[in-house]
Amino acid sequence: MFLHNFKYSLKTLFKNKMLIFWTFAFPIILGTFFNMAFADVINKEKLSIIDIAIIDNEDYQNNKIFKTAFESLSDENSEDQMFNTKLLDEEKAKEMLNKEEIVGYLKMQGNDPKLVFQKNGVNQTIFKYVVEEIVQRSSIVENISKDEIKKQIEQGNFAVDAESIVKRVINETSNTEIEFENTANKNLNYMMIEFYTLIAMTCLYGGILGMVAINQTLPNMSNKGKRVAVAPTKKGTIILSSLLAGYVAQLLGLVILFAYTIFALKVDYGEHTGLVILLAMIGSLTGLSMGVAVGTLSKKSEGAKSGILIAITMTGCFFAGMMGVTLKYVIDKGMPIINKINPANMITDGFYSLYYYNTLDRFWFNVASLGVLCVVLITISFLSLRRQKYDSI
Amino acid sequence: MTVFKTFLQVLKKNKFIVIMYTVILLIFGNFSMQSNQSSTNFEASKPTVFIVNEDKEEGITKDFIKYIKEKCDMAEIENSKEAIDDALFYEDLSLAVYIPQDFGKDFMEGKKPEITIKKRDSYYGSLAEMLLQRYIKVATIYQKNIKNEDELVAKINETISKDIETEVTTKIDTSALTKAARYYNFSSYSFLACLIYIISLIISTFNEEKVQKRTTISSYNYKKFNRILLLGNSLYAFVLWILYVVMSFVFVGPTMASINGLLFIANSFIFVICATTLAFFIANFVKNKDSINGIVNVIGLGSSFLCGAFIPQEWLPETVKIIGHVFPTYYFITGNETIAKLEKFNIDTLMPVIVNAGIVIAFSVVFVILTNLVTKKRRKV
Repeated sequence: MFLHNFKYSLKTLFKNKMLIFWTFAFPIILGTFFNMAFADVINKEKLSIIDIAIIDNEDYQNNKIFKTAFESLSDENSEDQMFNTKLLDEEKAKEMLNKEEIVGYLKMQGNDPKLVFQKNGVNQTIFKYVVEEIVQRSSIVENISKDEIKKQIEQGNFAVDAESIVKRVINETSNTEIEFENTANKNLNYMMIEFYTLIAMTCLYGGILGMVAINQTLPNMSNKGKRVAVAPTKKGTIILSSLLAGYVAQLLGLVILFAYTIFALKVDYGEHTGLVILLAMIGSLTGLSMGVAVGTLSKKSEGAKSGILIAITMTGCFFAGMMGVTLKYVIDKGMPIINKINPANMITDGFYSLYYYNTLDRFWFNVASLGVLCVVLITISFLSLRRQKYDSI
Repeated sequence: MTVFKTFLQVLKKNKFIVIMYTVILLIFGNFSMQSNQSSTNFEASKPTVFIVNEDKEEGITKDFIKYIKEKCDMAEIENSKEAIDDALFYEDLSLAVYIPQDFGKDFMEGKKPEITIKKRDSYYGSLAEMLLQRYIKVATIYQKNIKNEDELVAKINETISKDIETEVTTKIDTSALTKAARYYNFSSYSFLACLIYIISLIISTFNEEKVQKRTTISSYNYKKFNRILLLGNSLYAFVLWILYVVMSFVFVGPTMASINGLLFIANSFIFVICATTLAFFIANFVKNKDSINGIVNVIGLGSSFLCGAFIPQEWLPETVKIIGHVFPTYYFITGNETIAKLEKFNIDTLMPVIVNAGIVIAFSVVFVILTNLVTKKRRKV
């Protein structure tokens, strides 16, 4: 009986177009959207070459320090190229600035630099930073050389070779390179969260499968349920085999989605393959039990029940960062309780901890939370399902 | 009146979804308003930094921390590894700097104590690193010649405080306008999702076979019937639009009352008309209620992701932008981006806004024509 009902439940589930759409097609469609929209975000955040202009006047041509500095920073053959510099007259520079073809321009007035920007921004700040650096470097050279010469004179050496001192100081300053050791984890691509919410969504949409499966065994929900109820079979067997069919269908959907995200979209799930599978399985189980709970507790139509499940899932995914990754962080930090009880976030956060953390504490916490939620939902459904009998319906 | 009453009843039944989408927009609107002070003078962009200091806060260490606090914003997070790592991942933090024990003492002895950092490979991360490097570099150079800590600190400050003249040409408050643009860009998702969902739901209730048969044989004029339905739906769309406009005043503030702000409002009004006609078109297509949810999500999320409602249009890859052209949302958002940059108002500068709004209107006309074709075909049964 178990196998018989399992087989036919599976068949009816696969013939339901709405189910196929939500479990199989929708996540893949959404994943494709994510991939298209977010493909460039991380790269565009990296420091790229900045377009600037310098007013080509006499003051600039005579200023060796500025000239050599900008020549080397704009060298296209250098790995450290920072700027794409154009030498222009002021009118042309203003015009380009208005069209936002350059972020700003530098004008030398005597020995003092002046910067003109159209608006504030990071690129502008970096441009200003570099100009400041040049000014400061010449001030350092001046200061140290002066002190050195003074010291030598104090020591009684009146034939000071000022030029060689300045040269030495310049050398010393430009040879002082400061490097910090960066100990951050290299897995910093926060766009991955989007794809994790997608997996979470698919797991929870599996609830629709569970709900449909349970509806077919409920006498007050469908004619099929009435027939099942009068049949001389154990209720437990029927329900379990129907649910197992739902679970299998759901896992199949997940396998397809995982394959698509890994091979076509190049999503990185970290190194613990076994744990990724575990998380996906317990996540779908949570989705399934959510569907069972909604299916048994609500007396509304099947359409309304799937509406409820979709609304819960989408709201959960929204808080887990689907419509903007920042939201997940803000909720985690400001109102942690919302995401501690949000199954979509438990799944997303589990994947996040596998991807970003070296330790597994956080991962196990999420798995345990999902487990507890599963048990709670199943117990509630069980309590409302048992001993349900109808004299007439 | 009967039709209108039924319309209101169906609407009342679905108040949950209306409230949900509104709340989503509220929350998101709130978050995109957080940062950035408004200003038309030059203001350096400040990366957000977190300092973990294991040294005593005195002498050069104290001055170094003072310098960082001056040049960067301080992250408001707790001092734990997990909080720092999370903040770094979600870009709440550009860089975390770890000052080791005895840093000041070792530094004065010329031992070059090592500072470690955690940073993202982003604009702000690189900027923060540069700012830290500058201080340590200046300090290292001077330290070779100056052995007195106070004198060294004074010398460093004298050097790094050298400022240069900077001019910003724009006279408009760009950050507030960017906020407004973002708010209205996101609203395109809410408008589409709400309108398609609710209107489809209502129309499909009226289009149910039994209901439709009853309406058809009644003495009620079908033109009047359609007109009232259209009026009801437009009324709903209008109320939704008013709500979002009012909220924009709350979130964005007085900027909304400027010419740019009024243009945003006008532009969104045109978009709401378009979204309503699109919803009508879809509603007349939909036969079963179960598929409404799918359509709402695919069209709403799809056009939002591909047209730049959730992330700025300039960050989208070129091919995606080209695909985006098939949705009216694309022109609405392009219009918003243009409005955000408007400084002078004349025919030349307003032309792009008008053209984009025109395309959105053209879309509406096409949707109306298509709806008529669909319903005409249906009536012939």
